[in-house]
Amino acid sequence: MYQALLTNRYLTTRVIPLIAVAAVALCVALVIIVVSVMTGFLNMVKSSGRVLMGDVVIQYPVQGIPHFELVIEELERLPEVAAATPVVDSWGLLKMPYPEGPNKDTRYVQIWGIEPESFARVTGYADTLYWRPLKENQRASEHDLRRLMTDQLVEDAMSLRDHRTGRPAIVMGMHVSEGNQRQRDGSYHPLGDGYWWMPQYEVTLTTLPVDTGGDLGLQPESFIFPIVNEFVSGVFVIDNTRVMIPFNVAQRMFHLDEAERVDEQLNPVGVFPGRATIILVRAADGVTPDRLRDMVATAYNDLVVRSRSGDPAFHVPLQREGFGLSIRTWEQQQAQFIGPVEKERELMRVLFSIIYLVCAGLVLTIFWAIVHEKTRDIGILRSVGASRFGIAAIFLRYGAVIGAIGAVFGLGLAWLVVNNINAIHDAVGEDAPRWTWIAAFILAGGALMMAVFEMMRDRMLRLVLWALGTIVLALLGIGLYFHRGTLLWDPSVYYFSKIPNVIDFNTAITTMIGAVIFSVIGAFVPAAKAADTDPVNALRYE
Amino acid sequence: MPSTTAQPILQAHALRKTYRMGRVDVPVLKGASIDVHEGEWVAVLGASGSGKSTLLHLMGDLDQPDTPGGGFVRFERHMLAEMHRRDRNVYRNRTIGFVFQFYHLLPELNVLENTILPGLVGMSRLRYWRERGPLRARATELLDSFGLGHRLKHRPRELSGGERQRVAIARALLNKPRILLADEPTGNLDEDTGRDILDLIASQHREGLTIVMVTHDRSIAERANRIVELHGGQVVEQP
Repeated sequence: MYQALLTNRYLTTRVIPLIAVAAVALCVALVIIVVSVMTGFLNMVKSSGRVLMGDVVIQYPVQGIPHFELVIEELERLPEVAAATPVVDSWGLLKMPYPEGPNKDTRYVQIWGIEPESFARVTGYADTLYWRPLKENQRASEHDLRRLMTDQLVEDAMSLRDHRTGRPAIVMGMHVSEGNQRQRDGSYHPLGDGYWWMPQYEVTLTTLPVDTGGDLGLQPESFIFPIVNEFVSGVFVIDNTRVMIPFNVAQRMFHLDEAERVDEQLNPVGVFPGRATIILVRAADGVTPDRLRDMVATAYNDLVVRSRSGDPAFHVPLQREGFGLSIRTWEQQQAQFIGPVEKERELMRVLFSIIYLVCAGLVLTIFWAIVHEKTRDIGILRSVGASRFGIAAIFLRYGAVIGAIGAVFGLGLAWLVVNNINAIHDAVGEDAPRWTWIAAFILAGGALMMAVFEMMRDRMLRLVLWALGTIVLALLGIGLYFHRGTLLWDPSVYYFSKIPNVIDFNTAITTMIGAVIFSVIGAFVPAAKAADTDPVNALRYE
Repeated sequence: MPSTTAQPILQAHALRKTYRMGRVDVPVLKGASIDVHEGEWVAVLGASGSGKSTLLHLMGDLDQPDTPGGGFVRFERHMLAEMHRRDRNVYRNRTIGFVFQFYHLLPELNVLENTILPGLVGMSRLRYWRERGPLRARATELLDSFGLGHRLKHRPRELSGGERQRVAIARALLNKPRILLADEPTGNLDEDTGRDILDLIASQHREGLTIVMVTHDRSIAERANRIVELHGGQVVEQP
């Protein structure tokens, strides 16, 4: 019972244990922050994949999948399939409406020809459309252009058609236009205070079709599209390069639409069916992507067998993994991103596990000092009947409590940092506000005055502490004065435009348990030393 | 006056204790023997460095005699060296009460907590919750009787030397020990305060407590029933 009383008193009446708690808290916070950001990054890679491409992807690049309507019809008969949609996926050149004057910027973009209605059923397309009226409870600055929006923008994007002219329209990724500036609150504001708001302009899209033999023997196609909306998927690479146009227009621009087949004398002998390069499939509720992939593959192969035994003109390509047509889950499709990130996360976890040793080392060092300081107490306790194990238990318990409190504070600190990581990042990315360095210099001046005051009173420790405070605050002020915005998280490098900001609670719990265990391990040696302390020597200890 | 023919409550026999100072062995006790009978107040008189405190520590199981051939300490019929470690803890907790020259109170605990410490050491958490009332009442009663009833929540650093020593005596008496071992209990106090402390010890003796007190001051030793002197590492009975 006395262990609880002493642990409580040793914790609440001394400074050293607070240093140990702070050390453990910092270690725990560091691990949780790093691994949470890595896990969040991984989850964003994974979830973005699903949002952008559904659960299963059938892909046959360039040449495309003929009779895709039939494939989709077959797939949608499966109870495991909620919806499927065709996509034409290729690349082209986009002439932007800026700058003013005859010479416009042109950039390389990924073109997705989609059927918006079915595409929205398979992917999160509808939710990614950015220009739309604000929701009732949605907070936004008074300059946010969305305050002026109507539902028509969303309707146009969902039909990929300009309601004013009836012309096929384009929806671009938010970062395709360099005029869209991301604000600190995550919203977007076009340059020129809205002047370069894209949905009032047109762009020219140029494609270079490939023939059925895979050669570039065809004329480039150009098409002028009115911009009806922009989307934000959260994946910078996508938002920076992808544009959406109507599926049938994309087919035409890439010569993937239905065409007459002729013999050598140019006599019509049939038709080339229209093609899609990708079919995206969404699973019904409760169906895993892996199971869906197997079902889709089986259905697709059945269709291939049936098609080859019937009309010779009816031909769909064979599925061959790694070559030709492929059927993959979204995770397999994203494997090139997910694999390395998973490995990096594990590497981080292992590397940062060294923190535990630091934690144990800190506790050991601090407890060694505490045991040294408490030598006489140990003698007193032995004289009133405390056992050696009882003495050791005080310090083991003390270690566990310090580990537990440090772990809880560490979690709190990590939660604060991770939750505000984008705000912190944005603040670091800007010049320090004037009041921050002025405040630092005022505090440094105050600390200097206290140092002089203590020097006059001939108090060395306080003089040193205030002098150190002066130096630290002055350096902080100088640092803030000269601080210019630093971009730490470059979205073009890190794939996402936002730093993941959700605590990974699995990691948090294991880290906290680890901190407690290693704090107790750190306390073992001092506890054993305490247990071995000779009570007579301890009582004589000054 | 207790009978000297009866079995002693505490017996130290032919105790030898040698300390090692660097590479030199320094014998402190060279066959010291003493019998303490129930209800006795024995004063062990000796000069500084004569081994008085060492003798007390051996009798209180804070230290062990040399092995082999270092003699033994016996409480009633039990040889301390042969007792189980757990029983020896109980011996220090319940049978013996220690009072030291420098009080040895825990600075983080208040007066009441310092006093109930031996009670806490001997209790599990469950037993504490069951018996905390009587335990605190016993401590409060002792402190009240020693004139410290108004100081229960004070820390040791807020007390005078005499008050600290009274707290130390209250702590030693909390578990109603059979024997009080006092190591120069007035050695750090002025004369008047020292007299008060000796009066307090004397009152406990009158209530039947067996006391072994070591001192270098003959006038203090004379308050005891019996005086023995430690000389040359051996106990010499005084007339």
